[in-house]
Amino acid sequence: MKRVLFQGLVTITLFFAILFVLNQIDWMRILNVKHVSNTIDEKLGELYWDLFKESGEDIENITIKSALDSILTEICNSNFIDKSKIKLHILESNEVNAFALPDGHIVIYSGLILASESEAEFSGVLCHEIAHIELDHVMKKLVKEVGLSTLLSMTTGGNSGEILNETAKILSSSAYDRKLEREADAEAVKYLIKSEIDPEAFAMFLFRLRNSDLNSKLKELEWINTHPNIDERVKNIIKQRGENTVSYKSVLSDNTWAHVKEILKSF
Amino acid sequence: MIITKKFVYEPGEHEAEKASNSYLMSLIALIAALPLPIINLLATLFFYIGNRKGSFFVRWHCTQALLSQFSMLLINSVGFWWTISIIFTEEVLSSKFIAYIITVLLFNFTEFAATIYTAINTRKGVHVEWWFYGNLTNLICKN
Repeated sequence: MKRVLFQGLVTITLFFAILFVLNQIDWMRILNVKHVSNTIDEKLGELYWDLFKESGEDIENITIKSALDSILTEICNSNFIDKSKIKLHILESNEVNAFALPDGHIVIYSGLILASESEAEFSGVLCHEIAHIELDHVMKKLVKEVGLSTLLSMTTGGNSGEILNETAKILSSSAYDRKLEREADAEAVKYLIKSEIDPEAFAMFLFRLRNSDLNSKLKELEWINTHPNIDERVKNIIKQRGENTVSYKSVLSDNTWAHVKEILKSF
Repeated sequence: MIITKKFVYEPGEHEAEKASNSYLMSLIALIAALPLPIINLLATLFFYIGNRKGSFFVRWHCTQALLSQFSMLLINSVGFWWTISIIFTEEVLSSKFIAYIITVLLFNFTEFAATIYTAINTRKGVHVEWWFYGNLTNLICKN
């Protein structure tokens, strides 16, 4: 009996010893896995962005671009996020919507900017989408929805058309599951606080749009319609913000934000 | 790791064939149903049940084959469900996963080689005892 126990123990120890040694090796680097997955990300990002930019005018107005770029720069610098990997696009549309695509593409509809009363409200939504990118939610969601093999076949050009359209709808019009949304909100609040932007504005934005959605049932309020449990989210954001003594600041002046909205209205 | 011993009696031709088949069962099942680790265990389990009233030599080797499949089932199942979660859920490919799969493959390859060696020798009537499983079988399987 003792011999059996000893030999069993040796076998188990051997298994875990081999596992421990192999665990010390960075297989992802040796097998170039990161590079392959980055290439897939890039290819998918391009495919989706090409599809979305056909749906509305890509706003290239220099005033709008530089204003939004200032907000993005502030958030990225304050949170040590590599800004070069975030590709911010503004599309002309009445829909109040924003979403993240693979490879760091963030699409913001002009309707959402017009619905934001201040730059802080817009920053909240932007931080939420950056959080989805930073936490790798976009690829996780795509893999969960359509599977890795389908995504790979899309990047190699096989049966991509219909699947691309279907998955594009998933990315732009349906929320992530509750756990991922909660994670993105929590991360967004951290980004906002570090950027000295008041997270309360983000909560208020959600609350206000939820109320106007209840009143009007506007189809354009896509971002709210697809992000359920608004009350719970607002509560969590306010709770996480707490009684913060940090003095909040504005990246843009009220006038600049109003000017951006004025220009957008002309599109 | 593997030792050949003299069995308590000289097994007959028919016994040697049956004992050898107990190892072949796991190999055939491995080829037929590679992705599902439980199939190997079931194949050896059914063979064991079918031969539980057989001669001591046959029972002994059926038991050793079955016991080895139990531990392989454990490590293979973890690898199997980990792979499934990477393909279908939010789990991502990592160095830890690759390290685990390599370890599992090493153990499976060792077990595969031992199974072939034992199947060949048992067919000749040679009694082969494996490290750990041999002694464990001696405790469970009595003449």
